[in-house]
Amino acid sequence: MQDLLYFSQQLINGLTIGSTYALIAIGYTMVYGIIGMINFAHGEIYMIGAYTALIAITGLTALGLAWLPLILIVALLCAMIVSSSMGWAVERVAYRPVRGRHRLIPLISAIGMSIFLQNYVHLAQGSRNIGFPALIDGGFNFGSGDGFQMSLSYMQITIFITTLICMTALSLFISRSRTGRACRAVSQDLGMANLLGIDTNRIISATFVIGAALAAVAGLLLGMYYGSVDPLFGFIAGLKAFTAAVLGGIGSIPGAMLGGLILGVAESMTSGYLSGEYKDVISFSLLILILLFKPTGLLGKPEVEKI
Amino acid sequence: MRTSVKKLVTAVSTSVALMGAGHAAAEIQIGIAGPMTGPVAQYGDMQFSGARMAIEQINANGGVMGEELVAVEYDDVCDPKQAVTVANSLVNDGVRFVIGHLCSSSTQPASDIYEDEGILMVTPASTSPEITERGYELVFRTIGLDSMQGPVAANYIASQNPERVAIVHDKQQYGEGIATAVRDTLKDAGVEIAMFEGITAGDKDFSSLVTKLKQADVDYVYYGGYHPELGLILRQADSAGLDARFMGPEGVGNKDINTIAGEAAEGLLVTLPPAFDQKAENQALVEAFEEKGEDPSGPFVLTSYTAVQLVAEGIEAAGSTDPFDVAAALREGTFQTPIGTVEYDKSGDMKSFEFVVYEWHSDGSKTPVN
Amino acid sequence: MAANNFRHALFCAFITLIISYPIIGFNLEAQGINVTLTGADATTIVMVLLAAVIVFLFQMFREQIMGGLKSIPHPLPQSNKEPMAENRRAKIESWVLTGIVVLALFWPFFVSRGSVDLATLVLIYVMLALGLNVVVGLAGLLDLGYVAFYAVGAYTFALLSQYTGISFWLALPIGALLAALFGLVLGFPVLRLRGDYLAIVTLGFGEIIRILLNNWTTLTGGPNGIGGIPDPTLFGMEFGRRVKEEGNTSFHETFGIAYSGEHKVIFLYLIALVLAVFTALVIRRFMRMPVGRAWEALREDEIAARSLGLSRTAVKLSAFTIGAFFAGFAGTVFASKQGFISPESFVFLESAIILAIVVLGGMGSQIGVVLAAIAVTILPELAREFSEYRMLIFGAAMVLMMVWRPQGLMPMRRIHIELKRQE
Repeated sequence: MQDLLYFSQQLINGLTIGSTYALIAIGYTMVYGIIGMINFAHGEIYMIGAYTALIAITGLTALGLAWLPLILIVALLCAMIVSSSMGWAVERVAYRPVRGRHRLIPLISAIGMSIFLQNYVHLAQGSRNIGFPALIDGGFNFGSGDGFQMSLSYMQITIFITTLICMTALSLFISRSRTGRACRAVSQDLGMANLLGIDTNRIISATFVIGAALAAVAGLLLGMYYGSVDPLFGFIAGLKAFTAAVLGGIGSIPGAMLGGLILGVAESMTSGYLSGEYKDVISFSLLILILLFKPTGLLGKPEVEKI
Repeated sequence: MRTSVKKLVTAVSTSVALMGAGHAAAEIQIGIAGPMTGPVAQYGDMQFSGARMAIEQINANGGVMGEELVAVEYDDVCDPKQAVTVANSLVNDGVRFVIGHLCSSSTQPASDIYEDEGILMVTPASTSPEITERGYELVFRTIGLDSMQGPVAANYIASQNPERVAIVHDKQQYGEGIATAVRDTLKDAGVEIAMFEGITAGDKDFSSLVTKLKQADVDYVYYGGYHPELGLILRQADSAGLDARFMGPEGVGNKDINTIAGEAAEGLLVTLPPAFDQKAENQALVEAFEEKGEDPSGPFVLTSYTAVQLVAEGIEAAGSTDPFDVAAALREGTFQTPIGTVEYDKSGDMKSFEFVVYEWHSDGSKTPVN
Repeated sequence: MAANNFRHALFCAFITLIISYPIIGFNLEAQGINVTLTGADATTIVMVLLAAVIVFLFQMFREQIMGGLKSIPHPLPQSNKEPMAENRRAKIESWVLTGIVVLALFWPFFVSRGSVDLATLVLIYVMLALGLNVVVGLAGLLDLGYVAFYAVGAYTFALLSQYTGISFWLALPIGALLAALFGLVLGFPVLRLRGDYLAIVTLGFGEIIRILLNNWTTLTGGPNGIGGIPDPTLFGMEFGRRVKEEGNTSFHETFGIAYSGEHKVIFLYLIALVLAVFTALVIRRFMRMPVGRAWEALREDEIAARSLGLSRTAVKLSAFTIGAFFAGFAGTVFASKQGFISPESFVFLESAIILAIVVLGGMGSQIGVVLAAIAVTILPELAREFSEYRMLIFGAAMVLMMVWRPQGLMPMRRIHIELKRQE
């Protein structure tokens, strides 16, 4: 029973981290699906979302507001607005001018943007780790007295549910709405979509904005769950999320979710049963292994090369 | 191509002009080399804060041998490559005393250059033993080695007769070093060590680690590393219901840990140098920092302050600004500093350094444990 | 049209405000144990508003401004004259290059130690960039983990010197060969991967190597790194103040001159120069050989290349291996220069910087790569006055370079023959 509880606990931990990777991974996968480039600055957008949420929360509590749902919603909106604007601006400044060039050029531009944003926040807010208040506390405990007690915190449940809602909303948006249809069209064939009268520039901007908004959600959730923010944590999270997106098949939204969950669980299990020191090694090795057998990722569409 | 040559010429002439201007006044240049940007910039902030305060206060008291101290600051980003470049810049700029660097991996290659070129170096934060094991004359430390701090913590834990102890570190030079020292002392004392694990600095998610600690059912967890990670571990451990006492080195003993861990920081054990709280002079110093809006409780603030103070007092004791003379004076003298009484041995390490076990509270204060 | 412009400009200014005011305008401060928000000081707020105004004006009058900029003569003029005849150009190029190399040989004796040291670092980056150029520029394989081979070269020397006391000269080929072996090993799993999948796997490989180096404390010293790496010797003469090894004499004693730290530094610089020139020449040779042609063919169109009988496996593996070989050279020189290495020097950012140098120089172009390496290493030094803003400027510069001149400083000109026009 003990072992089962321990296993379930690590599983829950893994699924939680995994959901957060999934939320961020969607931004990567959507952008890649549409314009075929890796948005290295996406991790920084997530970080900016977290900072904005913290600023909003601190400001609201200082003003005397105490009702939790209101604080959270306002903070979420602020974070989403700032992140989306940042995503839009980054696309206009760093990616649109170089669209269509050789693949490496937007990549370097993205890396440069990532460095710029990290240092932007560093200069503006200082380099220290700043604590994020734990607004949602408490949880359930399973297991008896002496032995291992499995805990499922409200925060973890919130993360699951929010991720699920976001995923569903996004899938519905992509499959049902007009803009969603346009997104799918542009990701299939940019030139043709242009010819058919779709304003591809707007659609591409919209993709960045949506991805950024989701990253902001992740920023708020994770800030509350983990407990601190600093200017550099976006990069590592972004890298993991990108790995998750590739794992699941880049360009595929369900793939991002699946990749995120698998990566999260793999990390958690490695930490729990082997050693925390090698969890990144295992994650990357897992990626290499999967790509050996499925070169386009788990749910990725095999790329058809036209001669 | 033309533009870059022009830029080069401008830069060179400006630096020559600046150098000329620097030497005109009667002043002693004190170089401060540490990370202003990069992943550990928050610790660099502590170093610069402490050193600047010391220079200000010494100048306010009439300077050193009638001359003013001037701070010359360099950013090494805690990167060995940049540290070497910084060291060379220091040599070019004619600076003869340097407080730095912060990270051992930067201090080590830089010290080769300093020793070669006759520049006195006092590091306020590098704990790698190798730095003082190479027989260099001009290398000093104002930070206690792991071999001094580790046993204090381990002996305290052992004295509490724990059933099982877990040791966690951040895989970095400071954290792993001190965690290893604690582990070895605990082993000698016959305490059962349930696990010895590393986490990655910069990580935010410690849920798996906390779960593992819960399952290992430990009484004490010793953490080797700095406050950002320990703060998160404390907080996540608290919300997961982990029932163990945490202990850490001076790297975790500063108020930032309260903003991260909140209530969970109550009862944390920390080893710190004692003199800070006991002396009246230090209270004035604390207030001076707080007036400037800076926090003196960071692990490297006072060690940097002390480093500057030692250089100043060394110059006065030697009666000259020749680094070799000052080094000799430092080795012979006994100095009263905010971190305690300092005496140096032949290799540039402090002869003894006291550490006291404190209990940290959720309001940021601490009380010594008996 | 004007109204549209106005709305657009307003929108852009508004966005500027949104992305700058919350982050810059409010400061999160830890007061004691609580986090509070303080408004930023007046100058900062004024700057934010000013930025918004500038953006507004720029967007409003965009066409006029862009037109004005175009009329300024371009600093690097696209030549309107006919390109020179190929053989004349090649001759001039080789004279210029020889001249530069000769200059570089005599230059270190006249400048300070710091400059020579910096120049050695530039040469190390040149070697790295030339090697990565083979993989990315010539063969078109997006490698984001190149730093792994660099690390292998450096650690090989460090470990060998720690456990067997081997000299620099012996360690040089061993390190390079070992790095090449790792290149081969990396090549296998990525054979079937295309484009960005290749990128993430190579990135992962680079991270794996770094993490292993960091965690395998018993072998590699973990985060403590390995120190005491010796400098290269000249026929048994050491360059230190005191002789460290038995049976070696000291350079300054043999020649009867006073000890100076500069000797060591200049000697290492000269070695790095020789190695860099060697790298450039060897790769140039490769470019003209069938192997080099095969790389370029693979880059241009993999399917066409395969249909012509080129073995994808052989071409990819050869690119990785040869690229890694030169990274091994660079690693060995780096280890000797610093005397101390640790996993911190081999993070992803290093790979990104080397990649930036390759792209900045113009992929495939050797001269461009050298220029870019100089620019990337020296410019941050010139900007040391703004040390806080250094990285910010670096990031912005990367973006600007890509937007302004994506083909690089000196784009590669493929070896070709021009047919004379029949009049």
